[in-house]
Amino acid sequence: MPVITTRNLSKVYNPDTVPVHALRNVTLTIEEGEFTSVRGPSGSGKTTLLNIIGGLDKPTNGMVVINGTTITGMKDSKLIDFRLNNIGFVFQSYNLIPVFTAYENVSFIMLLQKRSKNEMKARTEELLEAVGLGSKLHSRPRELSGGEQQRVAVARALASRPKFILADEPTANLDTASAMNLLDMMERMNREENVTFVFSTHDQRVIERARRVITMVDGAIDSDVQQNGDRKYAEE
Amino acid sequence: MSMYLKLAWRNIWRNKRRTLITVSSIMFAVVFALFVESLERGAGDLFIDNMTRFHTGFIQVQDFRYEDEPSLDNAFFYDEDSFSERITANDSHIDFTVPRIETFMLAAGAEQTRGAMVMGTDVSGENRLNNLEDRLTEGRFFEPGDGTAVLGEGLAGRLDLAVGDSLILLGQGRFGMTAAGMYEVAGLVKHPMREMNNQLVYISLHDAQWLLSADDHITSLLVTPEHVRYADSVAEMLRSRLESDELRVLTWEEMMPELIEAIEFDRAQTRVMMLILYVVIGFGIFGTILTMTLERLREFGILLSVGMRRLKLALVVFIETVFISVLGVLSGFIPGFFVVLYFHYNPIMLGGDMEELVQEWGFEPIMPTALAPDIFLWQGLIIFIMTTVICFYPTIKIFSLNILNSARN
Ligand SMILES: Nc1ncnc2c1ncn2[C@@H]1O[C@H](COP(=O)(O)OP(=O)(O)OP(=O)(O)O)[C@@H](O)[C@H]1O
Ligand SMILES: [Mg+2]
Repeated sequence: MPVITTRNLSKVYNPDTVPVHALRNVTLTIEEGEFTSVRGPSGSGKTTLLNIIGGLDKPTNGMVVINGTTITGMKDSKLIDFRLNNIGFVFQSYNLIPVFTAYENVSFIMLLQKRSKNEMKARTEELLEAVGLGSKLHSRPRELSGGEQQRVAVARALASRPKFILADEPTANLDTASAMNLLDMMERMNREENVTFVFSTHDQRVIERARRVITMVDGAIDSDVQQNGDRKYAEE
Repeated sequence: MSMYLKLAWRNIWRNKRRTLITVSSIMFAVVFALFVESLERGAGDLFIDNMTRFHTGFIQVQDFRYEDEPSLDNAFFYDEDSFSERITANDSHIDFTVPRIETFMLAAGAEQTRGAMVMGTDVSGENRLNNLEDRLTEGRFFEPGDGTAVLGEGLAGRLDLAVGDSLILLGQGRFGMTAAGMYEVAGLVKHPMREMNNQLVYISLHDAQWLLSADDHITSLLVTPEHVRYADSVAEMLRSRLESDELRVLTWEEMMPELIEAIEFDRAQTRVMMLILYVVIGFGIFGTILTMTLERLREFGILLSVGMRRLKLALVVFIETVFISVLGVLSGFIPGFFVVLYFHYNPIMLGGDMEELVQEWGFEPIMPTALAPDIFLWQGLIIFIMTTVICFYPTIKIFSLNILNSARN
């Protein structure tokens, strides 16, 4: 079963005044274990697509199925719980709760899921260790660099054991070294733990690291190619 | 739960200065409110206490004609044993009773003559009511029927009488009988009510009844309940038991309606002042909560995105507000308590118009604060209710928050 399926997604902003077609008929399937990048010029609909897949926004037409569950039309409160247990989010910046330490930011998600104390502690330490922040467990976000903050955000996204992680331009505010570092870490998670990643980006060096690259133009999928050669996808 | 508390606690300290300003504004409001309320309660209580103890008693039983025509002719038959048996049967919350017979007479010393209020009473009962013996400045109190009198200092001064001198009382007894008697001055009291101090002559009930040809009659029976709060229920009980006797039962509130009205009016004024104060403080808290909410909308958006329920988020914000107000209230209670305590033992001396007004009534011009836990409770409750109301704003904001819009900027 694919992790993500979208069918004929379209999104029109301001339908009554100046309609903006942010998405046009996007049909897409993402399987478990993918490491997929969505690219395209500014305004091409990348963020809109990720938001709709993540249940943060509603499509004008079409539907989204996550792991067999149709989330389109789901009630807001149910959707919040669904997101908590199925989707990990990494935003462009300021992802973290500023008054919480790295450790608390990560374990808070598991608290929301009502996991046991022992599990929370073990997994938080393991994840922060895995993203290379084992020595900064108790630093607050403002004591961390942008790259470190994003790594905490990835650790937090993973903490809830989601089906996949959506990251909208996770490297946009990072310098090259930090961006590559974050990518290394994400790649390793993907390889070693089979975590599915879908991320949007402008950055050519980041695009090169993906194994599948979906290119958006004007709200539609312009091309969908596999690269780095280890898996196969049908090209549209 | 502890993590939510931690989150809320740290959030309120994100802007230390703002929180401290809010907390201290609540603190000052609480201290001020505690002081004003306690002062008003204390002064009112003292006034009522003085009036009841030295003047009317808490409850009076009178002949039903006496209020309209306070004359000895409207005294009523009183036999202590049978009467008290009737009214004190089955746990009635009556502590004790004091029979009094009072009338106006002429009082004369060797040179001077003055109008006097003659009160025949039972010293031990009177003493239980108002510690009259402590007010004795000279001499001693009489024994029942020993033919001596105790005078208010003011009256003694006017009549130029001292302990050991003779006092002559002249007037009318029951049903027009002539009443005249001579009494040795056994002692002088300083009665707190000036009017009384200048007029009062105490003699024993027995002597008075004999003087006034009113054997076994009294003009009023003062009934003291075990506690002020029983006054109404005791009065009710007395009414039902004495209905058939042409007797009337009055509570202190009924005997002094103008006084109650004045005190209520005073309280209403204070309430209005408090209301204004609370509105000001309320807006202060609201301002803080408002900015705390608005500057965190993006953060709220992210929390909702990653799966925090709106209700939980609202709860955290509510806890934050509660923290701020609890900090304010507690930090107000501590100095407030000491302020109230200090002015309880070192009452404020009145000056100016107030002093004259109070002395007019014959009381010491002091205003002690009341030490009443319920005043503290009320303050806490009012602030808590206010906080809860203020929390509607962030709650509504959180429930109507559009995740996308807030996470965007
Ligand atoms: N809330 C909105 N109201 C109106 N139009 C919107 C809204 N959000 C996005 N759009 C429009 O939808 C289109 C797609 O926007 P989107 O943010 O998805 O693009 P993007 O590919 O993420 O761009 P960027 O690379 O700049 O982040 C744009 O034309 C944008 O102006
Ligand atoms: Mg975008």
